[in-house]
Amino acid sequence: MRDALRRAAVAGLLVSLGALLLPAGLTAQGRPAQVTIGIGSEALTLMGATIVDWTTNAQLENIYDTLFTRDPKTEAIIPWLATGYKVIDDRTWEFTLRHNIKFHDGERFTAEAVKFTFEYIIDPKNKTHYLPRFKPVQSVEVVDDYRVRVHTSEPFPVLLSYLSLPGPFMLAPVYVQKVGIDYASAHPVGTGPYKFKEWVRGERLVLTRNPSYWAGPVRIESVVFRVIPEFSARLAALLSGEIDVMKDVPPQAVETVNRSGRATVRSTVSSRINYLALETLHPGPMQNVKVRQAITYAVDVDELIKTVLAGRATRICGYVGRFDTAYDGGLKCTAYDARRAARLLQEAGYDPGKLALTLDTPNGRYPLDKEVSEAIAAQLGRLGITVHVQVNEWRSHLDKIINRNVGDMFFLGWGPDLEPVGTVAQLFVGNLTYSGFGDPRIEEMIHRAEVIVDPAASNAAFRKVQETLQPMAPWVPLWQQHDLYGAATWIVWQPRPDEKLWMWEASPK
Amino acid sequence: MSRYLGARAAQAAVAIFFALTAVFFLVRITGDPVILFLPLDVQPKDISEFRHLLGFDQPVWVQYLAFLDRAAHGDFGASLRYRVPALPLVLHRFPATLELAAVSLALVALVAVPIGILSAARRGSVVDALGIAVTALGQAVPGFWLGLMLIWIFGVWLRWLPVSGFGDWRHFVLPAVTLAAFYAAQIARVTRSAVLDALGQDYVRTARAKGIREAGVLVRHVLKNAAIPVVTVFGLNAGQVLGGAVVTETIFAWPGLGGYILNALVGRDFPVVMVGVFFTSVIYVAMNFLVDLSYLWLNPQVRYH
Repeated sequence: MRDALRRAAVAGLLVSLGALLLPAGLTAQGRPAQVTIGIGSEALTLMGATIVDWTTNAQLENIYDTLFTRDPKTEAIIPWLATGYKVIDDRTWEFTLRHNIKFHDGERFTAEAVKFTFEYIIDPKNKTHYLPRFKPVQSVEVVDDYRVRVHTSEPFPVLLSYLSLPGPFMLAPVYVQKVGIDYASAHPVGTGPYKFKEWVRGERLVLTRNPSYWAGPVRIESVVFRVIPEFSARLAALLSGEIDVMKDVPPQAVETVNRSGRATVRSTVSSRINYLALETLHPGPMQNVKVRQAITYAVDVDELIKTVLAGRATRICGYVGRFDTAYDGGLKCTAYDARRAARLLQEAGYDPGKLALTLDTPNGRYPLDKEVSEAIAAQLGRLGITVHVQVNEWRSHLDKIINRNVGDMFFLGWGPDLEPVGTVAQLFVGNLTYSGFGDPRIEEMIHRAEVIVDPAASNAAFRKVQETLQPMAPWVPLWQQHDLYGAATWIVWQPRPDEKLWMWEASPK
Repeated sequence: MSRYLGARAAQAAVAIFFALTAVFFLVRITGDPVILFLPLDVQPKDISEFRHLLGFDQPVWVQYLAFLDRAAHGDFGASLRYRVPALPLVLHRFPATLELAAVSLALVALVAVPIGILSAARRGSVVDALGIAVTALGQAVPGFWLGLMLIWIFGVWLRWLPVSGFGDWRHFVLPAVTLAAFYAAQIARVTRSAVLDALGQDYVRTARAKGIREAGVLVRHVLKNAAIPVVTVFGLNAGQVLGGAVVTETIFAWPGLGGYILNALVGRDFPVVMVGVFFTSVIYVAMNFLVDLSYLWLNPQVRYH
C-alpha cells in the first residue's frame, strides 16, 4: 500500500515536473544504429527453451528462432524455421524444415536440432518450465535432415500454437553438448537475427547483428538490453536519450514523452485479456447466477475504458480476445443496465443496501488495475452495494486465488490469448482456479472441443462454448489493454500485440 | 585479547545462525515458490510434480535440516530463478555496493562531521541554525524522492550526468549524494550533540582555565571524547549501506546487493535470499566488531573481559 502511494506520488510529480522542465522541440541527433532497450529485470538465463519469463524471452527471441512465429498484425501462425507441417494422424505431426540455415557458430540447423530441443525440454533432469506445457510429447523422430516427426501421447492440437510462441527456441545440439548446459546458459548460440556479444549480469546484455540472417538483412547494428528496475528511472532514461525503447510508459506520461522530441509513444492492442472473475468456488452471493448477471449489467465497461483508461483499451464481450482463433465477433456485449441489475438482485432475494462484497485486485500488474477496481466498486456502489477493494501485491494476489481465499470478485489478466486451448480450456475446466467458475456442461463441451485437430471445427466448437457461457455470467469480460511503448524518434518500429521486442523488425529512419 | 576475540567470534556465529534460521522460516511463510516459476496455464498435478522436482514437497523441517547441512559445508544451493549457484551470484553484486558505500560514507564523514562540530562550537549562531535546518531536511526528505529529483534535474533537464547505471565517476555522483544525504544529516546531528555534551564536561572547563585556546580545546579534548557516539552510529550506518541500499540502488539501476536481494525475496528465490541474509549479517557483525575495537583506541578506560 505504501508502495502504491509512493508510486502514484512519484508518477504525478514526475509528470507535472516534466511538463515544466522539458524544453520542447529537441531534434534527434544522427547516431549509429544501436538500440538500447530499458528493461525492468535481467534475463534469468540465456539458454532457450528453459524458463517461462517475459523479460527473459523478450531478450532471447533476438538470439534464437522458433519453428513457427506469429504475424505482427493479425497474430496468425506463420512458418518460420519450419516451412510447414502435416498431420499424419491425430497423435503424429510432421514438420518440414527450412534449408541452408546455420547457427551463429556455423553449425547446420537440421532435424537433429529439433529433436535435441524437444528432448531437452521433456527431460525432467533439466527442470525446464516448458516441461508441463509439452508433456504430451512422447518422442521425436528424425525422418531425414529436413523432416521431423513428433509423436504425442494424446491428440495435441495446441502444439502448433505453442511452437509459435516465444519459449521453445531451437538449440544448437553440437554446441550445447560440447560446451555443456551451464556454459551455454551464459553464452547462447542460436539461428536468430542477433549474435550474443556480452552479458554483464544485472546490468546489460549486448547483441550484435547477424550479417547472414536467413530471413533477410538485419538493419540495427547492435541491441543492448539495459536493466533499469524503476519505471520512473526508465522513463527518465528514455527522455535523456540513454535508452531508446521502453515498454509500459505510464499513461499519465504519454504527453511528456511525445513532447520531448526524443521519443514517441507507440501503442498496440495487447493480446492479453482482462476480466473481473466472479468467484463461485466458495459459498457466497456469487454462487447465485442472478447476482452474477446483475453484476455484469451493473458494471459499465465502456465508462471504465473512457474515464479510467482514457480510451486505451478495446472492449471484449466474450471470453477470448480478438487475436484468439476462436474469437467470435458476433457475440454481443452485455449492455450496461442498472435497472435490470437492480431487478435481478431483487429476484435473487438480495437487498443491494445490505450486500457487501470484496474485490481483490493486484496493484501495478496491469495498467491502472487498482484504479479500475476502485471504479468498479464505485459503479456497484450506485446500486447501493458496498464493495471493499482489497489491494494485493502480485504474488499474494496469485496465492489468494490459488488457495481459494480470494474475495467475491477478482481482477485478472490472461495472455497471450491467441488460441482457445490455452485460454478457455484452461480457465473453465479442471480446478477452475483463474476463472472461479465451473459448469459440467461447459466442461464437457470443452473436452470435446480441445481434441479437435481441424482448426475450423475446433474454433466453431469453442465459439459455441462462449455463447453457452455468456448467460451463466462467470465473469465481467473487460478488455484488451493497449500497450504503450516509448521509442526514440529515429527508430522505425511498431510494437506488437504479443509484447515481443523483436529488433529484427526495427530499422533506423 | 585472544579470549575476547574467540568469544566475539562465537557470539557472531550464534547471531548469524539465528538470523538464517528466522529468515528460513519467514520466507517459507510467504508461500509456495513453485507457482511463480511455471506458466499460469499449468495443470495442478504438473505443479505438484515440479514441486517435487525442486524438493519443496518435503516438510519444512526436513528442508531446514538439509539446508543447515549444506550451508555448514559452504553450499547454499542453486538459485531457483537463475539456475546457477547462489553464492557467486550474490558475491558478484558486492563490488558495486562496496564502491557506492565507500564513496557515500566518505562523503558523509567529510561533510557531516565538520558541520556537526561547527554547529556545536557556534551554538545558537546562524551557522548552527542553518546546520539544524539543513540536517532536518536531509533526514525528512525520502531517498526515492531526492533520487528522482536529482535524476530529473541533472540527468533529464541539464543533462550533466547519466540518469542511471554503473560506470565511470559520473555514474557515482547522483546515487552517492542520494545515499549520503540521509546518513550525513544523521551523523551531523549526532556529532553536534556529542560535541555539545563534551563541551559541558569538567575537563573542558579545566582545559579552558589552563588557558588553552578554544581550537586546541576542541581538537585535543573534545573531539576524541565526542567520537564514541559518532563512531557507533557511523558503524551502524556503514553496516546498513554495505548490506545494499535498496531504494537508491533500485532508482539508479545500480547493480548492487540491495535491489538484488529484494528481488530474490519478491520472486521467492529462497537460496539467493539465504545467501543475502548470510552475507549481510556477516557484514553487520563485522561492523559492530570494528566499532567495539575503536572504543579501545578512543577511550583506554574501556576494557573487555
